[in-house]
Amino acid sequence: MDGILQVKNLSLIKDKKEIIKNFNLSAERYSISAVIGINGAGKSSLAYVLMGLKGYKPDSGAIYFNSKNITEFSITDRAQLGMTLAWQNPSLFEGLTVKDYIQVAVKNKSLNIVKDSLYRVALDPSIYLHRIVDKSLSGGERKRIELAAVFAMRPKLAILDEPDSGIDAISLDKIIHLIKDFKKVGSTVLLITHRDKVAEIADRAFLICNGEIIKEGPTKEISLFFKEQCNECTHKNIPISEIVREGNA
Amino acid sequence: MSTNILNEYQALMEAYEKNGGNIGEFANPNIPSIVIGGNKVLGKNQIKGLIIHSVPTSNGVDVKITVKSGTKVLYPMALCFGVIPKEGTQIINMETTIENNAGMNAISHCVFPNAEHIVHKMNYKINIGQNSFFRYKEIHFHGSKGGVEVIPYTKGTVGENSLFISTFTLKEGRVGKLDIKYDIDIMKKGKLELYSKVWAKEDDKVQIEEKGNLQGDEARALIKSRVVLEDEAKSKVLSVVNAYAPYSRGHVDCTEIVQDNAVAEAIPIVRVFNHLAKVTHEAAIGSIDSKELETLEARGLSKEEAVKIIVEGLLK
Ligand SMILES: Nc1ncnc2c1ncn2[C@@H]1O[C@H](COP(=O)(O)OP(=O)(O)OP(=O)(O)O)[C@@H](O)[C@H]1O
Ligand SMILES: [Mg+2]
Repeated sequence: MDGILQVKNLSLIKDKKEIIKNFNLSAERYSISAVIGINGAGKSSLAYVLMGLKGYKPDSGAIYFNSKNITEFSITDRAQLGMTLAWQNPSLFEGLTVKDYIQVAVKNKSLNIVKDSLYRVALDPSIYLHRIVDKSLSGGERKRIELAAVFAMRPKLAILDEPDSGIDAISLDKIIHLIKDFKKVGSTVLLITHRDKVAEIADRAFLICNGEIIKEGPTKEISLFFKEQCNECTHKNIPISEIVREGNA
Repeated sequence: MSTNILNEYQALMEAYEKNGGNIGEFANPNIPSIVIGGNKVLGKNQIKGLIIHSVPTSNGVDVKITVKSGTKVLYPMALCFGVIPKEGTQIINMETTIENNAGMNAISHCVFPNAEHIVHKMNYKINIGQNSFFRYKEIHFHGSKGGVEVIPYTKGTVGENSLFISTFTLKEGRVGKLDIKYDIDIMKKGKLELYSKVWAKEDDKVQIEEKGNLQGDEARALIKSRVVLEDEAKSKVLSVVNAYAPYSRGHVDCTEIVQDNAVAEAIPIVRVFNHLAKVTHEAAIGSIDSKELETLEARGLSKEEAVKIIVEGLLK
């Protein structure tokens, strides 16, 4: 299989709690893989481990990107290989314009790419290019700028942590469209989300619960299982194998 | 001009230009300006409604600038203060008066490009009348050796319904020793905004003491400081807002970024003497936010590049 990203037996312990457990995942090149799970399931933690953030060095297991073991790589090295992350709650930057923020990631610093990616998240460049990425932006505007910045980078792998959260219903379709466009520009997407409508666009889905993948398969099937079985999560102390069997039954 | 003075003027102009100034402005008869090197007035241009009175003293110059009632200087007046030799003491006693229904924008460049042992003292008095404004930017360049002691003390009054915005910037080269004091009274519906932005390196020492006194009803004050420290630099930022009048509002906002072995202190003091007044403050001292750093690293920047972008943004 042509997996651009392969995660093997990954585990992360924080505060004596295993937040990511025996995690295995493979994402096919130019695909969208959805990671679905309830609050606190470990979705963001997974994104942080993949990106190599401080405090998120795995306790065991390995991450392969384009068949290269990057488990020990710095964030910068991973990004230069083509990985990046759109944060669930992106940081604010005093004094930095939207233009400069997006351009940071653009190799040839082309202004056209910056403008194009702003259009794609339904933000008018003539209004937003010179805004500052600080607390004067609304939460939804900041999220859209984050997505625009990641898209402008043309990454080989984009990890999108709840790109739809904080986005109003009217703009949601544009955002969904943009996520699909990642494939067109040669990116692979790891899409973390709760929303069915967003997950639907994924080629494959992974259901994560308590830091483990408990199910993997076609998005529709996983979404349905999630809705029916995860509403009142009963399995916190029950072995995963049993709950999955129940769910399949 | 004698050759000596001409040389000094040219050296000042060179430093002024390097510091981001546009020297063409000193030759433009429509733009008010003054150039002071050591204790000499090397150039001066008055315009209608703006009067500059200057008297050289033994170690500096006394300067009085008056903007007459009804005059509005929108294209900024250009001021240049400096000392070209390696050593020396310069004491500037300055007074700016903006009469009623008048206003001025001004940019001042203070340049000490060769400083090894220089003391620059500025005693500044600012009087702003009613319905007037004064927007003042002061940009400093102290050279690369750190041999400068800069002591600007400003006292002023912002009259009824008037505005005073002052921005102090020192981000290129070394600071040396900086000791800034502001003490401003703000009258009814008057508004004060004080910004200071300093990048301290090696064994630089920064002391900032800014005080806004909300004397009139509905007066406003914002005191915002941004200090970035590296190496062994030290800073102490004291920001004070005293609210005496009803419906007056004040806010203190101080961020200091501390790197290497630097030491920073921030003391926001907010005092309210009237139960209808309100003053708030926020202060953050510490290393660069790791999430901000990681965000930029995740776009492919090295840690050093990311730090540079964050720090430059903060001081912008
Ligand atoms: N630094 C930490 N120390 C201790 N526990 C942590 C830490 N970071 C995360 N956790 C815990 O790990 C679990 C997974 O958190 P994570 O943020 O990855 O969840 P998530 O799936 O992204 O949730 P959400 O849908 O709310 O964004 C949570 O129970 C959380 O409380
Ligand atoms: Mg999360």
